Amino acid sequence: MTTAHTPRTTSGAAPAATPPHGPRLRWAKLAPDVYKAMIALDAAAKKGLDPALVELVKIRASQLNHCAFCLDMHITDARKAGETEERIYLLSAWEEAPGFYSPEEQAALALTEAVTVLTDGFVPDEVYERAAAHFEDAALAQLLALITTINAWNRFGVATRMAPGQA
Amino acid sequence: MSTPETAPRLPVFRLAPDIYAPLLALTQAAKKGLDPVLVELLLIRASQLNRCAFCLDMHVTDARKAGVSEERITLLSAWEEAPAHYTEKERAALAFTEAVTVLTGGFVPDEVYERAAAHFDDAELARLLALITAINSWNRLNVAARTPAGGVL
Repeated sequence: MTTAHTPRTTSGAAPAATPPHGPRLRWAKLAPDVYKAMIALDAAAKKGLDPALVELVKIRASQLNHCAFCLDMHITDARKAGETEERIYLLSAWEEAPGFYSPEEQAALALTEAVTVLTDGFVPDEVYERAAAHFEDAALAQLLALITTINAWNRFGVATRMAPGQA
Repeated sequence: MSTPETAPRLPVFRLAPDIYAPLLALTQAAKKGLDPVLVELLLIRASQLNRCAFCLDMHVTDARKAGVSEERITLLSAWEEAPAHYTEKERAALAFTEAVTVLTGGFVPDEVYERAAAHFDDAELARLLALITAINSWNRLNVAARTPAGGVL
């Protein structure tokens, strides 16, 4: 969570009237041991997973959880990793754009949504089985860990109102 | 507790053992300086919202061990309608827990944040947020893995 960059917009600049958006709470400074554990969790969760898939999952969860800071970071990271603009901007409608994502990615995205929106009800067998058909058990465990970890970053980002592009 | 009803769907912590230590570290770091009774109330409330049977079983048990009354445990899913059973500080923390847990319902409103900030200083608030995030993490993994109530990780 340390990438510093300028958000890219079509105009290249934010409107002058943008209201100040700044962190409510500098949680990582206030609780450095918490931050350290988060970094360790993030590193452990990603192990063995395709980096392109990792970014897609992180972007989709950040969309569902409305984390501006996280969206900015992971869209930037996805671009750096060579992700196409189309696959990035279609992500919030991935089910309607199946030609753009592999069956494995689609299964991972469905799992991401179910695990992110737990308050609407569990992780259905159908969604779980779909993911299990594409990921062996160890990879599935990593994927669940990844989804959990981005959900954790999203919670810090949204609750403390971290500003896009600012670490 | 009682005998597990089913086996887990996926033994997630055995398959990805490296995630266990940082999750535990996150949880332990989060709890620092927070009232253990408050901690259990929040862990139960988040687990209710996320419908984590394993987590509810664990934290209701832990809350009882910590001396939380049955009434305060039972009324937790309706705490706003039972204000006399919880302190103002507990209610502020419960409202914050709900907002941070249900992010898909829309952000963490200023009102909720400021209510919590009125009862917790910045350092405590960072721990509180970490605790809510930590239990949300346990909830996600155990719901997805379908860890049975009373089972072992």
